[in-house]
Amino acid sequence: MFCLLQYDNLDYMKFDWFVASRYLLSRRKQSFISIISIISIIGVSLGVATVILVIAVLDGVEHGLRDRFLANEAHIVLRDFGSAYFSDYDRKIEEIKKVNGVVAASPVVYSQSAIFRQDNNNIDAVILVKGIDPELEENVTGFSQFVKGSTGFKDTRIIEEASFINDVKITGGIVLGSRLAFRIGVNEGDVLRLVVRMVEDALNPDSLYPIIKHFVVIGLYESELTVYDNQIAFIHIETAQEIYEKPGQANVILVRLEDAERAPEIAQKMTEPPAFDKIQMPMTTTWLETHAPLFAALELEKIATVIIEALIILVAAFNIASTLIMTVMEKTRDIGTLRTLGSSRGNIMRIFMIQGSVIGMLGTFIGTALGLGLCWLLSTNIVRPTPWLALGLVVFLILIQIVIAIRHLLPYAKIRGIGFTILWVIAIAFGLYCLVEPISLQELGLSQIYQMNQLPIRVNWFFVGFINVLSFVICWLATIYPAWQAANLNPIEALQYE
Amino acid sequence: MDTLITIDNLHKSFYDGDSELKVLKGVNLDIYTSEILSIMGASGVGKSTLLHILGTLDRPTSGSILYEDEDITTFSERQLASFRNNAIGFVFQFHQLLPEFTALENVAMGRLIKISKRNKSRDTDLNNNSTYQDAQRLLEDVGLAERLDHYPSQLSGGERQRVAIARALINQPKVVLADEPTGNIDDKTSQAVLNVLQKINERLQQTFIIVTHDSRLAERADRTVELVDGKIAD
Repeated sequence: MFCLLQYDNLDYMKFDWFVASRYLLSRRKQSFISIISIISIIGVSLGVATVILVIAVLDGVEHGLRDRFLANEAHIVLRDFGSAYFSDYDRKIEEIKKVNGVVAASPVVYSQSAIFRQDNNNIDAVILVKGIDPELEENVTGFSQFVKGSTGFKDTRIIEEASFINDVKITGGIVLGSRLAFRIGVNEGDVLRLVVRMVEDALNPDSLYPIIKHFVVIGLYESELTVYDNQIAFIHIETAQEIYEKPGQANVILVRLEDAERAPEIAQKMTEPPAFDKIQMPMTTTWLETHAPLFAALELEKIATVIIEALIILVAAFNIASTLIMTVMEKTRDIGTLRTLGSSRGNIMRIFMIQGSVIGMLGTFIGTALGLGLCWLLSTNIVRPTPWLALGLVVFLILIQIVIAIRHLLPYAKIRGIGFTILWVIAIAFGLYCLVEPISLQELGLSQIYQMNQLPIRVNWFFVGFINVLSFVICWLATIYPAWQAANLNPIEALQYE
Repeated sequence: MDTLITIDNLHKSFYDGDSELKVLKGVNLDIYTSEILSIMGASGVGKSTLLHILGTLDRPTSGSILYEDEDITTFSERQLASFRNNAIGFVFQFHQLLPEFTALENVAMGRLIKISKRNKSRDTDLNNNSTYQDAQRLLEDVGLAERLDHYPSQLSGGERQRVAIARALINQPKVVLADEPTGNIDDKTSQAVLNVLQKINERLQQTFIIVTHDSRLAERADRTVELVDGKIAD
């Protein structure tokens, strides 16, 4: 194919195309396209379609996770050595905001607590307690968009009401991870007890007793990221400072950037002079570092998938090669005849390369359409018609074809062939439309593992282009040997071939 | 009469391992313009080999063939393809029509190849319309005006051979090489095929070289030579 394009006059290809297209289309006069070409085309199509689909799912998972991480998390987390507490966080935040690329920063008191319900004396869970300044936190993680309920941690009306109903002193409001709340069986308005620290018993020096604070659940945090929804709780930073006895201090500063991808570079800058001299926070963790093993695993998975899928296309290309070798054998006498009529070796070579390349191109094109179609169906939430409609259409088509075959109706074989091909394409497309729906990971019980509720699909157009080129090149390469074999047949032996 | 082809001391051997099989052992022959020459001989004597070498499908071991004073045994592969296309028409014992193409398309094929070669050098005085008109005229000449759009499988043996003759003439070659053109059809049909051949020879003045062991065919030729033991018998 490519070797043809060097000639500026494309009429030159007419003879080669004329013969190639006839070999491709009418193995037998009555069939619209020869069955062996169809099988080869289907082989390439399936290969290309699965590559596009699988990569779209893997890309979807990766980007789904990234988007959720980025929405829930700070891009950079700053700490002192040993997560030590510091008191001048307001000043530090001002300095951090001066660093180029930083959008917002907020102080956090991170701690852990054991919790138990009011009616339970055993510990229900050990959780991560994040003491936040709701207004500053909002600019860093978009906290409130994931909360169902209230974020008024110090809303006196709620606290007093809960104190009154439960007859205990309520320290403040708490927002609880939704899965955690479900697991331990608490809901909005319930009271939760936190063990915040242990103190020595003055009367009995050998033992400790816990300091317990009561909180009222004011909202549920639902990020769809299981790691958080399962183990986190939010309280107000001032409440945290009070209960952990760290007045006016924080142990972590969270930073949001304009461009999350620049996190490593900006984190580096913060730990070097001159910025470091003012910030004095030596430990930085970027979101990429936090999730490095996961992203590395996904990347490896993608590479492995591309290799496997390239092998699938390679198998399809072998299919093309064997189709062509069979065609060359079947056409041996014709090749001899064409040589006596004055065809050059180049003509013969091109005839078979065109034939194989057209199979490769059609297969690639159909496969791309199929793959993109499946991606669309798997990511579009609309109510589908019943699959019985599609089945009905297929049965109807089969019946019509049987009737035509038996009664010898419609003499125009070519028109009939094209017509039925179009009808079958419509029937198959409609069948897929009825049957293929977004896959719910929740129903499959996989949402915990994949941290999302629906199988994510993300079409990577660059990759679709790449796989198209790759598929076509592999198919094109597969045509070279059979075509070369055809071109080098001895015309006399070819003419006498039985 | 003008000499069209001069064959000079032509040898051809086939090799199988170390053993050499000498088929042509010094053929000398002049072939004249617009004659019908029949080459006769027992089977296996090398008639077809001689015809293949004349048609440039095979190369001789030694010797030369001058075609209009040019030695075609020295041509390159590319020149040979072009020479076969322009100067030579072939008719085989088995018609060798392409089954995927109609009679008209089969006849036009040689011209389509010629156009594809010409277009490379940007000579556009040939085009597809005139090709199919010429092909149709040739099929009318061989009495197949009603069979233009039939596929070879829809034609009888004699009809196929007549299509093959029309095909050989599409590029107005100076020489038509025929290898046992009536070998595969019955007597009555072969008479009809030979009539067509003779009529065309009279009208278009092409040279016909016919290899046969059918003496009745040879009787209708202008001249008959016999190949005996790899040489032309005196």
